Amino acid sequence: MNLRLLAAVLLTLMFSSATKAASIYAGKAKAAAVCAQCHGIRSTSAEAPFPPLAGRDEEYLEMALKQYRDKTRVSDIMNNIAGSLSDRDINNIASYYSRLKP
Amino acid sequence: MKKIIPLHTPFLAGAVALLLSSGSLQASSDNMHKLYQDNCASCHGSDHGGYLAPALNSETLKGRSPTALRSLIMTGSFETLMPPFYGRLSDNDIRSMVKHLQSTPKLDNPPWTIKDMQASLKVYVKDESKLPSKPTYQIDSMDDLIGVAARGKYGRGTGSKAVFINSKTHKIVGEIETGTAAHIIDFDPANERWAYVKTDTAEIFKVDLYSMQAVRSIKTGYNGPSMGVSRDGNYIMAGSFVPHNAVILNADLEPLKLFELEGVDPDGKMVTSDSGMIIGTPYADIFAIALENAGQVWVVDLKDGFPVTKIKNVGRHLHDAFLTHKGRKLMVASYDDSIVAAIDLEDRKIIKKLKAGCVPHVGGGAAVKVNGRTLGFGTNFGTCDNNTVVSVWDLDKMELVKQLPVSGGTESPAAHANAPYVAVDVITKDRRARTIQLIDKKSLEVVKTLDVGGHAYFPEYSADGQYLYVSAGYAGDEVVVYDSHSLKKVASVQMESPAGIFSRGRVKYMTRGLSPDEME
Repeated sequence: MNLRLLAAVLLTLMFSSATKAASIYAGKAKAAAVCAQCHGIRSTSAEAPFPPLAGRDEEYLEMALKQYRDKTRVSDIMNNIAGSLSDRDINNIASYYSRLKP
Repeated sequence: MKKIIPLHTPFLAGAVALLLSSGSLQASSDNMHKLYQDNCASCHGSDHGGYLAPALNSETLKGRSPTALRSLIMTGSFETLMPPFYGRLSDNDIRSMVKHLQSTPKLDNPPWTIKDMQASLKVYVKDESKLPSKPTYQIDSMDDLIGVAARGKYGRGTGSKAVFINSKTHKIVGEIETGTAAHIIDFDPANERWAYVKTDTAEIFKVDLYSMQAVRSIKTGYNGPSMGVSRDGNYIMAGSFVPHNAVILNADLEPLKLFELEGVDPDGKMVTSDSGMIIGTPYADIFAIALENAGQVWVVDLKDGFPVTKIKNVGRHLHDAFLTHKGRKLMVASYDDSIVAAIDLEDRKIIKKLKAGCVPHVGGGAAVKVNGRTLGFGTNFGTCDNNTVVSVWDLDKMELVKQLPVSGGTESPAAHANAPYVAVDVITKDRRARTIQLIDKKSLEVVKTLDVGGHAYFPEYSADGQYLYVSAGYAGDEVVVYDSHSLKKVASVQMESPAGIFSRGRVKYMTRGLSPDEME
């Protein structure tokens, strides 16, 4: 996590009690609507070229989504999809997938 | 390790060849035709006329933005079975495919003859007498088997299989890979060891349930979900949307007779027709088949020459059906005039046309005995103003009892003599699609809504009625099992995009919800 991000996270934590704890339930709903089509819930399709997300490191997921969102990591498809997510969505999604057993 | 199958490799080669030999537009179109057949046709129809998914041709896609179509192909479409093709097809292929679709008219029905079928017959087990004489896994009764049609995310590949579960332990006891999405599973009523699995691309696999392997397969057409097994297990009948025919096979899957499906529809027009439901009945040595577009039901006698009795003017756009009264009466759904027609298979006449909801789709149907009455439950695909309902009929008097309000369109009811609720799957494309609703048999009202997750559909009770199985398909990738009384979740069985669920118990009670006693 870079310093700017860390600062941002700390700031949100200080100012908004609602985001203090990521909601895995909200994450589940968002993941079902946005991510699972390609990445599956517990695993991806045997035929799919997409990496599974279940059980991945929470911080890594959050960082990757934010990089896709601000286009520091380039992908045709992920830049668009992550572009639609708020900080809170990303937080929830990362929290949900990281806690799932693959 | 994930195995990525480079489906489009030959097409890349084709594209390179195209670059080298300039001006061969024909070659490009041929490549796209093959790419379409290999990736899209099983759902969208090999004639571009649609099947499980919308028709994709120059007419239906007129004026659509190519950019929007490209991105839809890349990401897939949420809340539908359309998978993401990003990474499976190259960007060039996707762009060319959009062009191809927007410039190709709906094609004529390609032929698929008896000879084509014979040539497609594959034998995996040569000597069936060497198969084990009892199940090779622990199971109290073969009726406890539940078969699930797992579609696989892409409707093809290693995720596409028929998965068999012991419904007492909720453990998988066998898996049969089917190449393309499994759609229908039928059990042999006469010999518990056999089941037949039909795929979206109309291959039929004969499965030995004792050793859990396919012994034979045959391709009966390009698509079409219908299949039935005769009461003696000697015949299988399968019908297609593409082309417009149906075939009777023997139990070795050898084709015996082909039927061209055509007739005069209720509006007086001569039409060729998709094959709707095909059903064998415990009542007689017959098959009944619904001709979707011709609005006719044909009764085929299983004797020399397989003679046909045609029942005309049954309804506009027939689809599926269920049996009642020991299999003598057939309830056939008619999409376009929102009725369910009751047919007497002995007299081979329409008894009555009963009012249904909007676009009735009865699935496997359900019938239950309540206070001496036999009540039939009919689900309805459509949602309509103030009339989004499940229809309940008195099947003895053949009259409508109630139009029971539910939260959205429904496509398949489940019932069991030992379970208190009739379960229906809500399919309306929003959060409601994650749910099933439970109707109390006695009060005929929805008493509970369960959020199953994924796109919940095709509920089915285990043969003893203790458990309710539901597919959390599309994004859910699991079958969820509930206790049928407490409605507590008791198990989850993982598989890729599960759809139809078929209990072997069905051969005992004919239509879900009836007691086996009524069959004696």
